[in-house]
Amino acid sequence: MNKQAELDSLLQQVAVSGENLKGADRRDFLRKGLTFLGAASATAAAAHIPAVKAALPPREPAYGKALGKPVLFAPYGSPSEYESHVQRRTVEWLTPDRISSISFTPLADLKGIITPSGVMFERYHAGLPDIKPQEHHLMIHGMVDRPIILSMDDLMRFPSVSKIHFVECPANGGMEWRGAQMNRLQFSHGMIGCAEWTGVLLSTLLEEVGVKPEGKWVLAEGADGSHMSRSIPLEKALDDTLVVYAQNGEMLRPEQGYPVRLVNPGWEGNTSIKWLRRLEVGDQPWYHREETSKYTDLMPDGRSREFTFVQECNSVVTNPCPEKPMMKPGKVWVEGLAWSGRGKIKHVDVSFDGGVTWREAKFTSEVFPRALTRFGLEWNWQGQPAMIQSRAIDDTGFVQPTYGQLRAARGENSIYHKNAIHTWKVNADGSVVNVQIS
Amino acid sequence: MFKSPNQVKTMWVRLGLLAAVLVLGAGVTQAGKDSGYYGYGQAASPEQIAGWDIDVRPDGLGLPEGSGTAEEGEWIYEEKCASCHGSFGEGVDGYPSLAGGEGTLSGDGRPHKTIGSYWNYTSTVFDYINRAMPYTAPRSLEPDEVYSLTAYLLFMNYIIDDETFELNQDTLATVRLPNEPNFIPDERPDTANTRCMSDCRDPAAIEIKSQASPSLSEELAAQQGEVSDTVVESQPAVVTVGKSVYDRSCMLCHGSGLAGAPKVGDVDGWRARIAAGSATLYKHAIEGYQGEAGVMPAKGGFMNLSDDDVKAAVDYMVQESQ
Repeated sequence: MNKQAELDSLLQQVAVSGENLKGADRRDFLRKGLTFLGAASATAAAAHIPAVKAALPPREPAYGKALGKPVLFAPYGSPSEYESHVQRRTVEWLTPDRISSISFTPLADLKGIITPSGVMFERYHAGLPDIKPQEHHLMIHGMVDRPIILSMDDLMRFPSVSKIHFVECPANGGMEWRGAQMNRLQFSHGMIGCAEWTGVLLSTLLEEVGVKPEGKWVLAEGADGSHMSRSIPLEKALDDTLVVYAQNGEMLRPEQGYPVRLVNPGWEGNTSIKWLRRLEVGDQPWYHREETSKYTDLMPDGRSREFTFVQECNSVVTNPCPEKPMMKPGKVWVEGLAWSGRGKIKHVDVSFDGGVTWREAKFTSEVFPRALTRFGLEWNWQGQPAMIQSRAIDDTGFVQPTYGQLRAARGENSIYHKNAIHTWKVNADGSVVNVQIS
Repeated sequence: MFKSPNQVKTMWVRLGLLAAVLVLGAGVTQAGKDSGYYGYGQAASPEQIAGWDIDVRPDGLGLPEGSGTAEEGEWIYEEKCASCHGSFGEGVDGYPSLAGGEGTLSGDGRPHKTIGSYWNYTSTVFDYINRAMPYTAPRSLEPDEVYSLTAYLLFMNYIIDDETFELNQDTLATVRLPNEPNFIPDERPDTANTRCMSDCRDPAAIEIKSQASPSLSEELAAQQGEVSDTVVESQPAVVTVGKSVYDRSCMLCHGSGLAGAPKVGDVDGWRARIAAGSATLYKHAIEGYQGEAGVMPAKGGFMNLSDDDVKAAVDYMVQESQ
């Protein structure tokens, strides 16, 4: 007898015996029986009984004939253990070690537009620091009237706002510049996440310190070993930059900058400095390593664009994709994600024939500026090979480019800001492959 | 009176503080409320600001007092940098190359971006070493060492040819890098796709130009403990404390053999160490140890680790190296 059947049988016996007892005996039996059942359930959980695949009626599944776990079984809950395949992953050859490295969001398994904090991609330049909030401070100084040091308590006294925005590494998809390479959605587009961010508008803090008239740029710097730093134009800082301490309703995860980070909506993710400890106002940019040697875009003529802040309009189909192949012919709900660092997504069109004809998709989520937007449309797949593409258009009228247009403008060596229309080839057997077409 | 950029910066800080104290500068800023409206936090003193204000700008603003030469920098480089960046700045095991690559930024070959071929300002070299290097011990260098290393890297890249040239607050910004003129502002949007809905292209002209290798991705997934997305494996990955500490704090050196560290899995390298007994290994790992091949810093420099964490990581490394 396997463990599941054994447990079912025990439960049945307990139930039947209990029915035949009366009064005090019955109450006594129930007390003992519950203890016994608790022990049986614990044993079963520890043994990892495989999920029953065909718990179809008329059969009553085991969990309908037993008591479940008590409250506070997990004071801070986790995803179901049956979802343990949904996890961040890395591509080992991208970086020489995992300390200064990146991991990718498992986009194929996520729903809606909010990325669960625990699987949002990571990017560290000197590893994940362990910061006690009572030891952390944010200093704001430079060309200001009133340089200050804020504790976390101080920071959290300021008026707060909550906004939904994506954060995307500008290298997202960068491995695809010279040709299709990564045969997973997670690796081709997973350097992105979207969350509700709560914190203080940087403009509120800059008003509090009083920016001098000559102040034009703000340097943001992290507290980790890389002391990651970026120069941000004052115009952006006074517009929508957020000093964030919470994500998706709880304090930031360590991986996302606990206890405080910057979020520059719509801009390349590395400007959203994590573990933020310092903001300095100056009259010129600083030209630090992460805005000169890195995160500049090399053009074919040998010149490089600097301060390429905006993440332009982009989209990708998330179902089907290599991780989510076609299961069987028939009607298929095709869906995907679109986003633009310049504003809201206005339209998303989908092609099943490599870009010859296009159909407009529906939005299946709320549409927020500088946020992931989910789209979907029905497709009747009869087992024929296909080439699925999505093309997003934002509210500035910008249309997501083709690879040909992108390469004509920038060549193949610019590493960052690859936002070309992506193609999934669907084979007759339902498998899905990342391809680039002429 | 001439003031170095650094003095000017200090002056700004002092002026700012004076203004705050006298409530003279509390005028209305660009928009909204007066400065100090909420009054939260504490005023930052010049000493506090000086401690964290490490940034350096292309014009030299922010450079600390001190000096160094390439001659002095060579020795520091060999000791603290060459294990990752190579004796000639060529880069080792995927760590960044720091020299060479001139003339590779345009044309058909792969661009080789280094300080000499790509970076735009000398100040960036100083600033980056000072804020983030050496990789395993950031913020550990004295200003003279940073000046010396900057000078040596400039020498290595043929930017300066005098090993005794003194780099300091006043001279650093005078040394220019060759690629400086080649940085331009963002020109995007630089593509102009249109929203065509039908007959957008000739179907016969569609050709697959490149295709990802499924096997590559499957290998990657397998390495990371996943069989397939469609199989529900209810066995969660068992991550021990030791492995977790190792991954975060020890792997950098013990995974690669960096700085003379015994590599995990190197049975020969670990035999004598394991024979010395756990107590000795724990002691060396927790308190630090000067070995023949290299130095083990106390707790690998991660002083926030508990002794038990370190012991667990040692146990893990021993287990993987027998």
